[in-house]
Amino acid sequence: MPAAVWASGVAGPVGRGALLVGVVAAAFGAIAAITAARESARGEIPRTARLVPRFVGLSLLAALGAIVAMEWAMITRDFSLQYVQDHGSRSTPALYNFTAVWSALEGSILLWIFALALSAGLVAWRYRRRLDDQLITWAIAVICIVMVFFFILSFGPANPFAAGAPGVTDGPGPNPLLQNHILVLFHPPILYLGYVGFTVPFAFAIAALITGRVGEGWLLETRRWTLFAWGFLTVGIILGGWWSYEVLGWSGVWAWDPVENASLLPWLTGTAYIHSVLVQERRGMLRVWNLSLLLATFSLTILGTFLTRSGVLNSVHAFSESDIGSYLLVFFGIIVLVSLVLIGWRGDALRSPGAIDSPVSREGAFLANNVLFSVFAFIVLLGTVFPLVIEALQDRQISVAEPFFDRLSIPIGIAILALMCIAPVLPWRKASTELLRDRLFWPAWCGIGALVAGIVSGADGLAPLLAFALGGFSGGAALRQVVLATRRQGWRGLVGRANGGMIVHIGVILIAVALSASNAYTQSQELRLSVGTPATFAGHTFELVGFREEKDDRSTAVKALVSVDGGQAYAPAITKFLNMGMNVGTPSVKTTWRYDIYLTLEPPVKMDSGEARIKVFVKPLIMWLWIGGGLMAVGTILAAFPGRRRRRPTDPTSAPVPVGEGRVTT
Amino acid sequence: MKRLKGRLAWSMMGVLAAVLLAFGATRSSGPSTQEERIDAISKRLACPTCNGESIYVSRASAAESIRNEIARQVAAGQRVDDEIVAYIESRFPGSLLLPPGEGVDSLVWILPVVALVCGFGGLVVVFRKWKREGDVQANADDAGVVAAALRDYEDPTEGL
Repeated sequence: MPAAVWASGVAGPVGRGALLVGVVAAAFGAIAAITAARESARGEIPRTARLVPRFVGLSLLAALGAIVAMEWAMITRDFSLQYVQDHGSRSTPALYNFTAVWSALEGSILLWIFALALSAGLVAWRYRRRLDDQLITWAIAVICIVMVFFFILSFGPANPFAAGAPGVTDGPGPNPLLQNHILVLFHPPILYLGYVGFTVPFAFAIAALITGRVGEGWLLETRRWTLFAWGFLTVGIILGGWWSYEVLGWSGVWAWDPVENASLLPWLTGTAYIHSVLVQERRGMLRVWNLSLLLATFSLTILGTFLTRSGVLNSVHAFSESDIGSYLLVFFGIIVLVSLVLIGWRGDALRSPGAIDSPVSREGAFLANNVLFSVFAFIVLLGTVFPLVIEALQDRQISVAEPFFDRLSIPIGIAILALMCIAPVLPWRKASTELLRDRLFWPAWCGIGALVAGIVSGADGLAPLLAFALGGFSGGAALRQVVLATRRQGWRGLVGRANGGMIVHIGVILIAVALSASNAYTQSQELRLSVGTPATFAGHTFELVGFREEKDDRSTAVKALVSVDGGQAYAPAITKFLNMGMNVGTPSVKTTWRYDIYLTLEPPVKMDSGEARIKVFVKPLIMWLWIGGGLMAVGTILAAFPGRRRRRPTDPTSAPVPVGEGRVTT
Repeated sequence: MKRLKGRLAWSMMGVLAAVLLAFGATRSSGPSTQEERIDAISKRLACPTCNGESIYVSRASAAESIRNEIARQVAAGQRVDDEIVAYIESRFPGSLLLPPGEGVDSLVWILPVVALVCGFGGLVVVFRKWKREGDVQANADDAGVVAAALRDYEDPTEGL
């Protein structure tokens, strides 16, 4: 077969070549952009600026080439590559073979590079007419430098195109857990777009520090980039939870695993940033703080990648050990050092005049939000690295896991919910008690309503009831804003930052309430079912109808058919993957608006006995997690649309300064 | 309307919320089936072979056998949850998922509290400072400069 001969072995050289082109193109892109920026700084016409988009475009092509080469190798089952030998197999179905490319470290870095090059390309295209502005060229230079790092990472220590042992004709395929749900197609790319997306605001922040234009200009440029990065990160995290729920069989969405924590850390600091940045836009304050949050967000994505991808932390998500750890650690160190030096260097320019009049104001609420989110991020980081520190210092192993995070995140979560009750109704500068009493009245009754509903439906325990009450209250406060805005402006009351933000709030509240309810009130029981003898649990009947065995050339699945409440049969399964020798359970879920019934088949299964051990979880309000996630995504998109009143260019970005013979700040 | 939203209504709401919360928080709680006790216990213990997953989360065979041991002990009904956890911990040292609050390990509990206190303490300090300094004031000259700049900006359209 000449075609196959040609196909086999071509991906390796092509991919290596593409990565090498990527390293060079990104490096030249950085050099061209820096040269252009320096030309602009000297007041010359930046001649090299026109080269910048070409090099960025070439890097994008190289990144595309590398990932396409990997896909090609995977699709054509090119077993000359080590990566395909390890993670490909002839019997993997097409979809999971396609996603196998990012099922391990080396390939997932290719995906990361592609997402990064894509954002670099978007930035270069978006600002193609403003390349004489040194803020833009410096930002592109920073993105290119980050790109160079990742290209080198992939070309060197995490080489996905390394040649494998000769003569291999088949492989085990990706981890069985990564080949039984469609979400493996969406969760990693979307999450990576989120991680990588924060590179853009980071680059603009660095560019602002370098050029000294630390005013509010760069913030306005990056507002939407940040929002979209945050949105992708949010959706990526939620899809990860959904995947966990649908695949792993322990009926949960979040286990405080180090890799999950690594995605939560930048989300927390990013969330703090998109709130506190409003104070800067409006009042010109908190410049250092906002820069720090943004720099922290980007550094945390790198630190998280280091912690989880270098083998220093054990995690179910962690890929095999590799030596990329030292590279990532050095890169993290450089980022932190450069950020600190730049902030110190620009310290004077960053000092912003003005004062926040009262803690009971929108500014004050944003500050409180920032304290809560930063402390939350600190807790997550502490819990994640604490075992490492102890092991390094005392050479003994401890685990800091779910119970720790649960115990600390519940009070923080409740405090955040409480803040979400009051913050949306607060005006800028100062709020009076009468105003609060007036504006919070109906939202507070919503809280009472939610509390009563919780009590009536049998809820108990202080933490979940508080979550319901505050959820109702904060939901009321968010709805109040949306209702007032739509009454005033029609459909435009749904778009813009404040209004879209409230839709996001409603999504967050739904998730908070659903998580509290499902964590506190899950009922579970293991049932020994015999064919034809129904059993009852938590008001539902379960009847084993029979078994079904499904075989293909890579696996054997045994499904127990369980009829729930006399209706449709659900089929929790155990799949034996032949070439991995691994048994993977797959749950089956009946979803309703009020509760999910989650069934898993427990080993060992003896089909001829006519008996099965079925574990049943009845979990309230799970569907509202996904609805809340959807609302968060929709709200983020709405928030990215311009609101009705766009600021006129002559309007001051800060609040008007009273005129009088007062303190002079300059 | 004003009276409706007055102090009285708010106090009533506060009392109502407190009563409902007190009622809800004190009514019967805790696991209702043996299985839920097993789940609660297995959430506190690490699976010895699976990278920090809890017994509850893990589907590994080691976790399965410990879960069976927990189930046996719960079914026997002689030990309370803490005793079962301690028993498993004695057989598989290091399987406790919750770090004890002793020695260096207690830092993991103390530092978050310190961070929270520092965070809000810092807020109090900056608000004090802002209050002391007052807001920025522009003098009449500054206002003149701004007004002149705005006039320039709008001039072209007026001239047409």
